[in-house]
Amino acid sequence: MKSLLRNKTRSAGYARERMKLLLTSERIECSPQMMKMLQNDLIHTVKKYIMIKEDQVTINMSQEPPVLHADIPVLKKKE
Amino acid sequence: MSEVIVITSGKGGVGKTTTAANIGTGLAMLGKKVVVVDTDIGLRNLDVVLGLENRIVYNLVDVIDGSCRLRQALIRDKRHPELFLLPSAQTKDKTAVSPEQMIKLTEDLREEFDYVLLDCPAGIEQGFKNAIAGADKALVVTTPEVSAIRDADRIIGLLEANEIRDIHLIINRLRPDMIARGDMMSVEDVVEILAVDLIGTILDDEQIVVATNQGEPMSGKNSQAEEEYRNICRRLIGEEVPFQDIRQRKGVLGRIGKMFRK
Repeated sequence: MKSLLRNKTRSAGYARERMKLLLTSERIECSPQMMKMLQNDLIHTVKKYIMIKEDQVTINMSQEPPVLHADIPVLKKKE
Repeated sequence: MSEVIVITSGKGGVGKTTTAANIGTGLAMLGKKVVVVDTDIGLRNLDVVLGLENRIVYNLVDVIDGSCRLRQALIRDKRHPELFLLPSAQTKDKTAVSPEQMIKLTEDLREEFDYVLLDCPAGIEQGFKNAIAGADKALVVTTPEVSAIRDADRIIGLLEANEIRDIHLIINRLRPDMIARGDMMSVEDVVEILAVDLIGTILDDEQIVVATNQGEPMSGKNSQAEEEYRNICRRLIGEEVPFQDIRQRKGVLGRIGKMFRK
């Protein structure tokens, strides 16, 4: 039983996530590095106007239809 | 109402030619008049898979450049009288054929056959452009591996850019044991990633190698892969055939088989 558990390497899950990321960026001809740069620029721009949780910002792309989603958690104003 | 179907993948070695041979044979077994066309000029292969390599006189390039009539180049299958092969040329240069000439050829074949299956070469160059030029429908073959999936995604993009919207996915060489332990992407994973309509799932099956060695596709006994090729053929002619869970398919029969082998 122990050896059975140890054999669960789950490389398929890793492959699936890599493929999703890669193909999303290839479909819109935007490399993963460029997506990262886009994310940084977004943070930089939004930060000028509102307080956000920088480390929790995520961007991703939905497939059909292709839509860019940016999830930018906003910090509550301190009273 | 005849249909021209291109079988393509981008990556080489994922099973395009085997798929073309099996689906061609399967459709003929369902009573359809079928021609399989090897469009890989310079690298002829479909003839050996079908066991017709010794009967070739004329080829696709001969037909296109007018050296022979279409009927002279068509080879009737040994076992299925309604199945024909149009072999590829082995020596001619790949640029010998243009997409316009391929469209003309597929239109001529349409007159004679219910199904025209085009076995596409690997890659996205001229040979690919020729193969898809006259197609109404595309079957994209992939395996559950990252390299094949990435190429399949490129191919789907190129097919759509060429106005081929009737695209169906075949996932080949599935290993239920590897999927069960999380080391191979599942059918659901691949379909989600590629976001196209699934038409068939083929297990990695020794019987396919045996049938290919013999040059007799669809001749295996109790072959799960051939059973699924039959299902694909029935889906192609418009029947509703449910997809079986590949974990179950391995199930009872496979286990009994294993017991006997021991």
